[in-house]
Amino acid sequence: MTSRPVLRRRAFLAALLACGVGPSRAEARHFRIALANVDETPGVTLEGLGFTGSDLRRSFELAARTLPVDMLYFDNAGDPGRAVANAEAAIAAKVDLLIEYNADAEANAEIARRLAAAAIPALALVDPLPGAPLYGPDNRVAGRIAGRALGDFARETWPDEQVLGVLIGDLAEPSAAISDRVQGITEGVHESLPSLKLASLDTGGQPVRADALLTKFLQTQRGERLLIASLDDLAAVYAKNAIEMNRRQSDCIIVSQGLDPNIHGGASEKKEIDPNNRGSVVLGSVAYYMDRYGYDVLPLALRLLAGEKLPPRTATQHKLVTAANVFREYPPFDMN
Amino acid sequence: MRIAGLAASVGISALSLLVLSAPASAQADCKAVVQPSPFGPDDQTGATNRVTPAVTKAAAAEIQTGVVTSMANPLVDGIPLFGTRFSKTILSSFAITPGAEYGNNKLSYMEDTYLSQSHVGTHIDGMGHIGIQDCYYNQTPMGKYVTQNYLKRLGLENIKTFATRGVIIDAVKVFQAAGKLKANPACKTPCLDAGSLITEADLQAGLKMYNVTLREADAVFINTGWGDLFKQWPAQNATYNKGEPGISESAALWLASQKVVLVGADTWAVEVIPGEREDIAFPVHKTLITDNGIHIIENVRTDLISDVAAKTGRATFFLSMTVPKAVGTTGTFVNIEAIQ
Repeated sequence: MTSRPVLRRRAFLAALLACGVGPSRAEARHFRIALANVDETPGVTLEGLGFTGSDLRRSFELAARTLPVDMLYFDNAGDPGRAVANAEAAIAAKVDLLIEYNADAEANAEIARRLAAAAIPALALVDPLPGAPLYGPDNRVAGRIAGRALGDFARETWPDEQVLGVLIGDLAEPSAAISDRVQGITEGVHESLPSLKLASLDTGGQPVRADALLTKFLQTQRGERLLIASLDDLAAVYAKNAIEMNRRQSDCIIVSQGLDPNIHGGASEKKEIDPNNRGSVVLGSVAYYMDRYGYDVLPLALRLLAGEKLPPRTATQHKLVTAANVFREYPPFDMN
Repeated sequence: MRIAGLAASVGISALSLLVLSAPASAQADCKAVVQPSPFGPDDQTGATNRVTPAVTKAAAAEIQTGVVTSMANPLVDGIPLFGTRFSKTILSSFAITPGAEYGNNKLSYMEDTYLSQSHVGTHIDGMGHIGIQDCYYNQTPMGKYVTQNYLKRLGLENIKTFATRGVIIDAVKVFQAAGKLKANPACKTPCLDAGSLITEADLQAGLKMYNVTLREADAVFINTGWGDLFKQWPAQNATYNKGEPGISESAALWLASQKVVLVGADTWAVEVIPGEREDIAFPVHKTLITDNGIHIIENVRTDLISDVAAKTGRATFFLSMTVPKAVGTTGTFVNIEAIQ
């Protein structure tokens, strides 16, 4: 088992004790915490990855089971006006703390102003909320992990061969998240292969297009090994299909971003990253753990409520997950 | 329970052999990973050591009316199973073909061939089922004892007897009384929702409800209502398997401290799924089986005995459950009856 969450919890408990919030006092008071989720509309995915709003909310529901919190849930539905209204509703409900996940900066400024007026502390998820500690991915770090993995693979497997890098995904998406991931991938792969050239294949937000784009690209690149960095898991799955259809498995390797349910399954729900599929061209995916945010964020919220000053930004601890460690990171409990 | 990588499916077994036997040279220090057995360093039996003649005699006092209540689900093709796991029978009926009878009395016969994995239906998890790396019950370095066909230690043949007192804890009633039972539209009768934690306080409340105090060697069964989904097979198989209510790790530790011999429930893993911690796999299994030698019984039919308890006020019974001496196996389907 990984020691990451253990250390995290130990640190959290130590912090609680340091703040005088030992188990007995923590049990004595239940805090009312609201989560204003970014968008729970079915089919809407988050941050260019395969996670959904309901995945994120479920993580809070599960994490809350063992913590002294009573949760209230709001769905911002991707609507800045609704986000402000939800914050107002949380204030009216006299919550002890609001966890806000909303992408609109203007609305967040208004939410921060209203929360401050009501003296209600807040935590921001992914997107900043003025004055609130922020929890979210570090896209650049995640990208760098993928880039390093690709570079290391090429150095070990194809040491004397001509190698080309390929970036595939929603490259034209204007968010900082995407550009940070791309920057990180580039930095990471250049650590091992400083002169590596990177081609770009833009799916335009439609991961299915990765198949056709890569097929066409493969037909023009016959003498090179390809290090493929996918910006999301679904695009990686389609890219893998293109590689197999063109029988280029021995020339290509993919590392993706997300580790969302598109690419890893459970005990029976076999998917690409699986202990029994170690020969896949999909080497791995960098985990973002958006389906576990609740486990990280609620302890932060309790620390804040205990009077602790949190760092302005806490980042998800990204990790490369492969067939060798996927069941450690995501123990397969789903028996379907 | 049905765990990939430890399962008995053919493909997975092959992998398990590779995984478990290959690292034999890099085994974990089992003394650091698993608790020692309280029954000595050579013990392979586990908690059924506690079922002494005195325990059985005392349990027999539970038989007052002679009423027998079934606590097993039917084992039939179509019930919820783990992924590709299967349980089928082949009927050999050749001898009823005209002319194939035996003797002038024309004796005929039929037999079955089970093509079934062992952890299906109402079944027991044995000591050889769950470990941490290759460390199993009583700090056994299992890598040394795995063959292609069976275990050379910790097989079911080492179990003594389950002739003891059974206790039913009705978690549905506990949650109803506490006002924390959420409606689950998939269940036709009240059930706890998937992911609902049953704590030691809940267990104690359930015992208090029927004025029961646990005693050493008791067999504890928990009614969560989740078995309602099992009964709806195959319609609700996916829902049944996707998660479940169950006991927390601390509740398992509390049960272990009570020195029970088994913990059963109307769920496929007894423990809460999704678990309390996102990165820890089946901690209750480890606590009960691997550390304490306490058997787990899954997919138990608990609703009938819970109904009896509600009507009669008696939540204890004489447990009738036997386990075949299937040498070197990790589990088997069982029949269970509560005799009062």
